[in-house]
Amino acid sequence: MFKKILIANRGEIAVRILRACRELSIRTAAVFSDADRGALHVRLADEAYPIGPAPSRESYLSIDKLMDVSRRAGCDALHPGYGFLAENPALPRACKDAGVTFIGPPAEAMEAMGSKTAGKQLARRADVPTVPGTSEAIDNPEEVQALARSMGYPVVLKAIAGGGGKGMRVVDNDSEFTAAWRDAASEALNAFGDPRMFLEKYLLKPRHIEIQVFADAHGRVVSLGERECSVQRRHQKVIEEAPSPVVTPDLRRRMGDAAVRLARAGGYVNAGTVEFLVDAQLNFYFLEVNTRLQVEHPVTEQVTGLDLVKLQIAIAAGHRLPFAWESIAPRGHAMELRLYAEDPDNNFFPCPGKILARNAPTGPGVRLDEGVYEGYTVPLEYDPLLSKLIAWGNSREETISRLRRALDEYTITGIRTNVSLFRRILGEAEFLTSNIHTNWLDELLARPHPPAEAPRAGTEEAALLAAALWSSRKPDSSAGGRPGSEMDQMSEWKRDGRRQQLDRMP
Amino acid sequence: MKFEIQLEGVSGKTKRVVQLEKHGKGYRILLDGRQVDADAVQVAPYTISVLLGGQSFEVHISDAPDGRLNLQIGVHEFMAEVVDPRAWRGRKHGPLEAAGRQQIIAPMPGKVIRMLVKLGDAVEAKQGLAVIEAMKMQNEIRSPKSGKVERVLVEEGQNVSAGEVLCIVT
Repeated sequence: MFKKILIANRGEIAVRILRACRELSIRTAAVFSDADRGALHVRLADEAYPIGPAPSRESYLSIDKLMDVSRRAGCDALHPGYGFLAENPALPRACKDAGVTFIGPPAEAMEAMGSKTAGKQLARRADVPTVPGTSEAIDNPEEVQALARSMGYPVVLKAIAGGGGKGMRVVDNDSEFTAAWRDAASEALNAFGDPRMFLEKYLLKPRHIEIQVFADAHGRVVSLGERECSVQRRHQKVIEEAPSPVVTPDLRRRMGDAAVRLARAGGYVNAGTVEFLVDAQLNFYFLEVNTRLQVEHPVTEQVTGLDLVKLQIAIAAGHRLPFAWESIAPRGHAMELRLYAEDPDNNFFPCPGKILARNAPTGPGVRLDEGVYEGYTVPLEYDPLLSKLIAWGNSREETISRLRRALDEYTITGIRTNVSLFRRILGEAEFLTSNIHTNWLDELLARPHPPAEAPRAGTEEAALLAAALWSSRKPDSSAGGRPGSEMDQMSEWKRDGRRQQLDRMP
Repeated sequence: MKFEIQLEGVSGKTKRVVQLEKHGKGYRILLDGRQVDADAVQVAPYTISVLLGGQSFEVHISDAPDGRLNLQIGVHEFMAEVVDPRAWRGRKHGPLEAAGRQQIIAPMPGKVIRMLVKLGDAVEAKQGLAVIEAMKMQNEIRSPKSGKVERVLVEEGQNVSAGEVLCIVT
């Protein structure tokens, strides 16, 4: 087994990986940019090394700096997490040159499957159904527009190197095409350093269902079942669950077989996800392969009882997958909410800032994967994901009740979060019956907000009393003194004397 | 200690008077001059637990940038302006802009990727004015009203901080 793993990422996923390493008694080396000196992954890691300025292109995306840290710290393996360099074949190549094991697929498998067009070609060869569209990148917008016209709108533009909804635009008609192309290409260039795009027919009201696959280096490939990720806002997953409420054991087997076939055809090793769009008749179409660990991997962990990160490390170390997993079936139900520092009342603008108070939910069936803490300042340079709230139970209903309960317990103040979005979704009849598709949330958000529930009797009075108590703790309310700082250090005697003096004033 | 508090919540604004009188280890609390069966304890730096006639409330509190207090109780949010008789001055804030003339501000720090309008353009309500990139996501800033672009204060490619005025629509 490995002695020391370099974690080439930040935030909650860096924390997730180092937790797995610690359970395996493997030492961890974290890296951080100037904006992340106080980040949780730096605090929890055994070792941590600076890799440059806040912009990710000069830090988390710098292969040279990562390799330099790996050499200096004496790491024998590297975990890329998700995002950043996780799907860039140059990283496994650099690792190979440096004699460091890359915990993920080989560069060749990334190239054969990772880009959306290559994945599609491979899917056709592996007899996996695909959505109509171009299978190659086209640089010329006029050519793409002509194709879109002949295919018929709506169409969707996607960055070749894309993921997470970045560099992706749905085009409803011909007049929107030019602006959509420009926005998507510039976003793709910024996020992935690659502006190339491809075009696909846009399916109406599809569900997004993906299969988690694992492959060892000895030729065994298994499916760990599906995740339903149809609740998306502007193509970003917001809620994920396993199993999917619409997937039957037969469909699960057929989708799993297709995903395994594809992974085999691509010479895949380690954890990967094959994403499908599923229409109302439960036909499934290959969408893309994510050649890495997914953000939403915890829901699969909760229904299979497996630790996917430890499994990734074991496979990278050359271990075999057991035969028995070829017929793994989900147990119970799990669901994940992605909590972001963004303001749902203001078009979901990112709201970085300092977290003043934070109460984390605990108790039966609740898991919180996060990279933040009370007093932490969420930097504006990176993705504003704060935490992933995961709950599981015997049924979908029990899981949803647990999430509602956990949301009631969960408080983060000082910054805006999208918690209210989840309260709304978890109360929607269509969500509760899982009558949803990938545009469902965007449509829901376009409808007027339901009137806010009236606060229970006494709420306003409680706010008034709290405001008074808070103000009484300030040495002079107009000077804006901060309770909990100098006032706490002042002697009770002095404080009370001062209070009495002040009370004599009119 | 006596506080005059203007509270703003979902059901509108109210003005109430809260008195805290030292009583043993805690306070005797009066609301609009009448004693209430209540107990308020600061349980964490920004959290106050209030028991009111047996009902338990957890209040999360912090100072808002405009000098008021932000209070969160479960899903409900309030803003409170506290006038302390001890203070020499109150904290009254009028509306920041004249009706009709709208300053379009950057809601958060980021980079102006594209200006979609120029000086003198006629705009419709909800029409895009600028595209700002923040945290790798591009966001369109839309006009709150239909009118005319009176001024443009930023250029494409410029970095802006939260609250910076991008343009003015009249």
